Amino acid sequence: MKKGNKLMRREGIAGLLFVTPQIVYFLLFFLLPLCICIYAAFTNWNILSVRHTLVGLRNFDKLFADPKFWKALKNTLYMLTPIPFYLLFALAFAYCCHKKILAEKAFRVVYYLPFISSIVSLVLIWKWLFNAQYGLVNNFLALFGIQGPNWLGDPVWTRRMIVLMISWKMIGIISIYYIAALKNVPISYYEAAQLDGASSWQQFRDITLPILTPTTFYLLVTGMIGSLQTFLEVQLFTPDGGRGYGVGTIVFYIWQKAFESSQMGYACACAGVFGLFIMLLTILQLTVSRKWVYEGE
Amino acid sequence: MKRKTSPKRVAAFLVLLAGACTMVLPFLWMLSTSLKQANLVYTIPPQWIPNPFDWANYKEVWHAANLLTGIKNSTVITLLVVVLSTLTSSMSAFAFAKLHFPAKNAIFLMLLSTMMVPGVVLLVPDFIIYTRLKWIDTLLPMIVPASLCNISNIFFMRQYMVGLPSAYLDAAKIDGCGYFKAYWRIFLPLCKPAVVTNAIMLFMGTWNDYMTPLLFTHSEARQTVQVAIAMLNSHYEQQTDIPLVMAASLIAVLPVLILFITCQKYFTDSLVMTGLKG
Repeated sequence: MKKGNKLMRREGIAGLLFVTPQIVYFLLFFLLPLCICIYAAFTNWNILSVRHTLVGLRNFDKLFADPKFWKALKNTLYMLTPIPFYLLFALAFAYCCHKKILAEKAFRVVYYLPFISSIVSLVLIWKWLFNAQYGLVNNFLALFGIQGPNWLGDPVWTRRMIVLMISWKMIGIISIYYIAALKNVPISYYEAAQLDGASSWQQFRDITLPILTPTTFYLLVTGMIGSLQTFLEVQLFTPDGGRGYGVGTIVFYIWQKAFESSQMGYACACAGVFGLFIMLLTILQLTVSRKWVYEGE
Repeated sequence: MKRKTSPKRVAAFLVLLAGACTMVLPFLWMLSTSLKQANLVYTIPPQWIPNPFDWANYKEVWHAANLLTGIKNSTVITLLVVVLSTLTSSMSAFAFAKLHFPAKNAIFLMLLSTMMVPGVVLLVPDFIIYTRLKWIDTLLPMIVPASLCNISNIFFMRQYMVGLPSAYLDAAKIDGCGYFKAYWRIFLPLCKPAVVTNAIMLFMGTWNDYMTPLLFTHSEARQTVQVAIAMLNSHYEQQTDIPLVMAASLIAVLPVLILFITCQKYFTDSLVMTGLKG
C-alpha cells in the first residue's frame, strides 16, 4: 500500500512536470495579459510615459463618442456578410465531391491552395488582379461590356473585394469539413429512405441537412469569430483604413490606437469591450444552437 | 464502385471545374506575371504566356528586398517552433491522456478557457509584457509563446493518445521505465501520424505568420520573409514593378506549397480530425 502511494506521488509529479510549459504559458501569456488589459482599460496608459493614472470610465466615454469607432464597428459587421455564402458554396462543392466525381482528389488539392498561402502573398496577387486598369478582373468584366469599379481606390469596393477574398480563401477548407461530415452519414439512412420512396431532394433535406447542422454550427461560430477580427487584409490593402475610414475594422482601429499613437489604455478599453462582445456572441450562439442542432442518436 | 455518367454527374463535375479555375487562376497569373518584363505587364488584353520568358526578376528580387535575411529569420523561427512546440504539446498530451496528477481536470479546463477569449484582447498587453521583457525587436515573441503551448495540437494529440492502450504504460512501469522514457520510447513513436500532421500545420502557420512580426519587430535585421515581402510591396507600389512583386510573393508561398503537395494526405487528415471534434 505504501509503495502504491509512493508510485502515485511519482506519477503526480511527473504529470505536473509534463504540463509545466502550458501552465507557464497560461500564467504569463494569458492570465497576465488579460489582467493587464482589464486594468489598463481604466488608465491613461501611454507607452511613451512611465507614469499612468486611473481615469475611471473616461476611455469608454471617449470610445463611444468617437465616430471612427462606430464606423469601424459597421465595417467589422460587414465582414460577416460572406459567411452564409461561403458555407453554401462549400456545401455545394462538398456535395459534388462526395458523389465520387472524376479527379475529385485533384480538385481538393486545388481548393486548398488559397488557404495554405500566406496572407501577404494573397494580398499582393489580389492587388494586381483587381488593378482598376490592367487587372485581370476588370478586363474580364470588360468582355461583357461592364466598366469595372476602382476596387482599390473606392472604400465601398475595397470592402467588397476583401469579403470576396475571404470567401475565396475559405471555401476550400470549409468544403473539406463538409466532405468529412458527409462521410459520416450512415448509408443505411439513405437506403431506408429510398425504400420509402423519398426523392433525392427529400433525402438531402431530411437526412443530410440535419446531420450537417453540428458541422455548420461549428463553422458558423468559428467563421464569425474569425471574421469579426479581420485585420491583416485591411492593414495590407489600405494602410490608413481607406478613404473616410471606409475599410478600417475594430481590430485595425485598436492597432492604430495602440501602435501608431501608443494610447495603450484606450486601445485596451476598446479591445475589452469588443472582446466581451465576441464572447457574448459565442455564448449566445452556443445556447441557441442546442434547439436546432442534430445531436445524433 | 463503377462510375456512371449521368447528366447530374456531369453538372457536378462542371461546377467543381469552375470552382477549381477560380482557385488556381490567380496563382497561374502570379506565375505568368513574374516571368514577364516589366513593360509587358500593361497589355490589353492580358497576355497569359509571357513572351519572352524572363527569369531576371527572380535574380533581381534578392537585391530589391531584404529577402535573404527574411528567409534566414523565418527558417530559424519555424524550425524552433516546430520542434519545441511538437515536444511540449505531445508531452502534455501524454500527461492528460495517460497520467494521473493533481488538478488534472482543472488544468485542462484552464487551457480550454483560453480559447474563449479572442486574441484581440491580448494584443496590446502582450506588447507591454514584451517591452518589459525586452523582447521587442527580437525573434522571441514569435518563438517562445508558440513553443510553450498550442492548445489545438494538445487536444488533437491527446485524442490520439487516449486511443492507445494504457497497458503499455503499466508494462513500462513494471519494467522500471520512467515516465519520460515511456513517453519518448513508446507513446511518441506510436503517435507518429498525429505528430507529423501537427508539425506540418505548425510549419504552415509559423512560416505564413505576418501578424506577430508586424506588431513586435521593426528593424530590418529582424524581418521575417512575410514582412520583407510586404515591405517590398509598399516600396515598389509607386514604381509598379509588378513582375518583381509577383516573383517575391511566389517565393513566399513556395516552401509551404512544396510541403503541401508532398504531404497532402496529412493536411486533409488534420482538418478532418481537428474539425470534427469541435
